[in-house]
Amino acid sequence: MGIQEQYRSEAASLLSSGEVKLVIGFGAGSTADRRRPLFARTGEEANRFVLDASCIANLSTYLLTEGLLSDGKKVGIFLKPDGIRSINILIAEAQLKPDQVVILGYAIENGQLTALEGRSVADFNGVNEKIRSLALPPAVQQDIERLEAMSPVERFQFWQDQFSKCIKCYACRQACPMCYCRRCIVDVNQPQWVNTSSHTLGNFEWNIVRAFHLAGRCAACGACDRACPVNIPLRLINARMGREVREAFDYFAGESTDQKPVLASFSKDDPETFIL
Amino acid sequence: MTRILLKNKLDDCIVTWRNAGYSVLAPVKRNEMGSFSEVQKASDMSLDLILPERTIKDRFFPQTEPMIRYKISKQQIDTETMTPPDTKSVCFGVRPCDAAGLEIDDPLFGWDYKDQYWFKRRNNSVIVTITCTASDDFCMCTSVKLSPESTKGSDVMLRPLSNGNGWQVETITERGKALFDSVSVHLSDEKAETAALAQVPVRFNVEQVMEWLANPTSFESQFWKDIALRCIGCGSCTFLCPTCHCFDIQDEGDTYNGIRRKNWDSCSFANFTMHTSGHNPRNTQSTRWRQRIMHKFNYYRGKFGVNSCSGCGRCTRQCPVDMGITETLQAISNLPR
Ligand code: SF4
Ligand code: SF4
Ligand code: SF4
Ligand code: SF4
Repeated sequence: MGIQEQYRSEAASLLSSGEVKLVIGFGAGSTADRRRPLFARTGEEANRFVLDASCIANLSTYLLTEGLLSDGKKVGIFLKPDGIRSINILIAEAQLKPDQVVILGYAIENGQLTALEGRSVADFNGVNEKIRSLALPPAVQQDIERLEAMSPVERFQFWQDQFSKCIKCYACRQACPMCYCRRCIVDVNQPQWVNTSSHTLGNFEWNIVRAFHLAGRCAACGACDRACPVNIPLRLINARMGREVREAFDYFAGESTDQKPVLASFSKDDPETFIL
Repeated sequence: MTRILLKNKLDDCIVTWRNAGYSVLAPVKRNEMGSFSEVQKASDMSLDLILPERTIKDRFFPQTEPMIRYKISKQQIDTETMTPPDTKSVCFGVRPCDAAGLEIDDPLFGWDYKDQYWFKRRNNSVIVTITCTASDDFCMCTSVKLSPESTKGSDVMLRPLSNGNGWQVETITERGKALFDSVSVHLSDEKAETAALAQVPVRFNVEQVMEWLANPTSFESQFWKDIALRCIGCGSCTFLCPTCHCFDIQDEGDTYNGIRRKNWDSCSFANFTMHTSGHNPRNTQSTRWRQRIMHKFNYYRGKFGVNSCSGCGRCTRQCPVDMGITETLQAISNLPR
């Protein structure tokens, strides 16, 4: 039995036994190579799940949909290691109770799918140990190196060209599991804290706000990058912020569920290089 | 007599138009994004794109537009109305769906009040459309009763020649005729065949959709809750749509100095309908998605006699979760009735 059939029947039995009220996975999309999020409430619906190498989206953003988990019931969800990593961050930030999530884990390597052992969050310590060594896709790594090789002036020009394309659609924020604020700072409008105008300056404001808010929190799933309708390579920003945090605090977001969020905690050994 | 514009004469036309004071806008792929940008020469254009990510609408209704500069002092209040510059433009290589989008939006911007920002640009521009010889899985003009050769919103229609060397010129309006009369010496009269048009399948029955939407019981249907489950409520589909036109007015600056701006807004956002009291009449994504569909295929038609969709397919093409108008309308036309 292939992994798709295996997970279809597991999802179906989770639903029919009443263990979970909903399973979030993938279904066929509008073209042969697209997959779309699919929400199954019955065993029958679980038969429509698709699981293959095109299932790259991080579905964990749906777990924080307003009201979804407030009844205390469990939800099943298809996740890759980057999705598990984002769940760890959400748990560490007290946004999610581990016992409300049942994970149908899978990994994609060289186009091949493998099932990950385990169902509850605690079962994935083996995955967590490997999270630090998960390599970024080669194309992303190349882009990072290209950016690092630029002079500050060139790099600024690069981001200016990119951010001038932004239309403030906030698809990056909506797709991101870590952007869970019920009211994002840019939506706080009594008074309007951040201008809504999408000119280059305003776009810089928005993207820098988001970069700071994700420092040491990004799971590197690439959801923002894929969501951006004008193709701004957003993951390059978060990768750089992640590196800063790693170098300053030896902190790698999402390695475990009991990490203390790095920018919300204090240790007397923290470097104080910025204090004059 | 049909006239031909050869590709190798396009530069001459651009020079003539620019010398006559036109800025020439065309699809340009730059920094991984296609949009209508000013070009100096034919080789700047990316005419082989099926559609650029950004629509021509952006050039008439930009994402942020300064309206009034204000200055308040103890003595007085100074305001200065900011209007777009009086530049004439040629929009070259527009697709039929994008051109139609402009005409669809005209009544909205000219209904009780004539929006000077929109109409100043509209009156100063000539839309030169190229018919489509290729389409993708998302194009759906034929589903909304347009086509890869519909002339709605166009001043000139260019039909690609099958030998790939240029276009057959068909002028639609006086404005379009004047523009091409001005480059008459660069046109030729050869006999040439035009390439076959793109075959765009009809993806849903728009009559059935309109009928279902107009039925008062549809408003509270469970259908909306089910279909909108995966919508993450971004502004992609509305901001990339050639017919979406909603905006918000914001003062940028401080109490004493600043600029009042007209900024894009989207019915997908929770803030769109948020009242000052904190009450939100559209407090779920399904009610917002319902608004988008209802507005496009029911309310807009009720008010202006046309549907507010020209079938470009961007809402599906660019949606991060593979939603879009097409799937929803297909589902509506397949509902048991
Ligand atoms: S998804 Fe892209 S265009 Fe939209 S707000 Fe984010 S960076 Fe800007
Ligand atoms: S349909 Fe897609 S593009 Fe539109 S708001 Fe929903 S998620 Fe965003
Ligand atoms: S209400 Fe929504 S669908 Fe209608 S024009 Fe405005 S943004 Fe577009
Ligand atoms: S609703 Fe979708 S298909 Fe219709 S005009 Fe807008 S973006 Fe294009």
